[in-house]
Amino acid sequence: MEIAYPVGLVVVAAAIIIGFTALVREKDDLQRILLVDLAEVLGLVLIALVATDLAEALILPGLVVGISELLAVSEVYIAREGLKEPTGPAFRLEVMESAPGILALILVAHGIILSGFTGGAIAAVGAVFYFMCRGHNEQFELIETVSGYAWAIWIAAFLIFMFLPQYWFFGVMMAGGAILVKVMAKMSLVGTMRRGGPDV
Amino acid sequence: MTPEFILGCIILIIGVIAAGFPREKTYLARLIHLEIPGFGLLLIMLAYDEMLALLTFIGVTAISTFVLVRVIERKEAAE
Repeated sequence: MEIAYPVGLVVVAAAIIIGFTALVREKDDLQRILLVDLAEVLGLVLIALVATDLAEALILPGLVVGISELLAVSEVYIAREGLKEPTGPAFRLEVMESAPGILALILVAHGIILSGFTGGAIAAVGAVFYFMCRGHNEQFELIETVSGYAWAIWIAAFLIFMFLPQYWFFGVMMAGGAILVKVMAKMSLVGTMRRGGPDV
Repeated sequence: MTPEFILGCIILIIGVIAAGFPREKTYLARLIHLEIPGFGLLLIMLAYDEMLALLTFIGVTAISTFVLVRVIERKEAAE
């Protein structure tokens, strides 16, 4: 196992050189955004080579920061180039009419069983898929309110850890459930950004 | 040096070359090529038993594909 780390480092170094050469030689801005996504993968490989729990603890926030950075950069690009939504008849797929119900149900149920941050992310992917395929007309104030209460419960769970450590299991359950709802509420907003209406 | 690790390294290098210098330089071709180094990363995570990171990477990749496709379809509609 000792030889794997230097070999991995050499491979990643070669990959980084190739990737950044492509990035430097690229003139088109949107192609550059795509290559930045590639650079993110290379950074994650570098962290994954650490091969301990520390690697996992570093990869999770890296992924979250990466996706939010990608969202922000793509929004800036759309605003700067003044790109409009494509006109004409919307893209229709039969599977996008029938699949969302059952697939979203499975993903949300699996997320609730997992609980915690990862569970929230999995459940949110189900919600994102449902919103993208079926459209949405829900009240954003409601999602924000639920998310706010979840955050308060999460903080309360930490207060239990600090002042009533003998009830730690109750605190774990509160924190796990609250972060599930919180992450899911935030990430499901991503699903509403496509086309912005119920007529997907 | 498990087989997953070696395979992951090979796929990573191939994928970086494919995504960096694709034969057809369209946006969609490059987006599809980006999946290849992602698979290399998944195999390396698998070799080190990083289950949580692996599952989260799959979920986040799905969302980032949606985000990039949204930009690409607007860009191509404008051209």
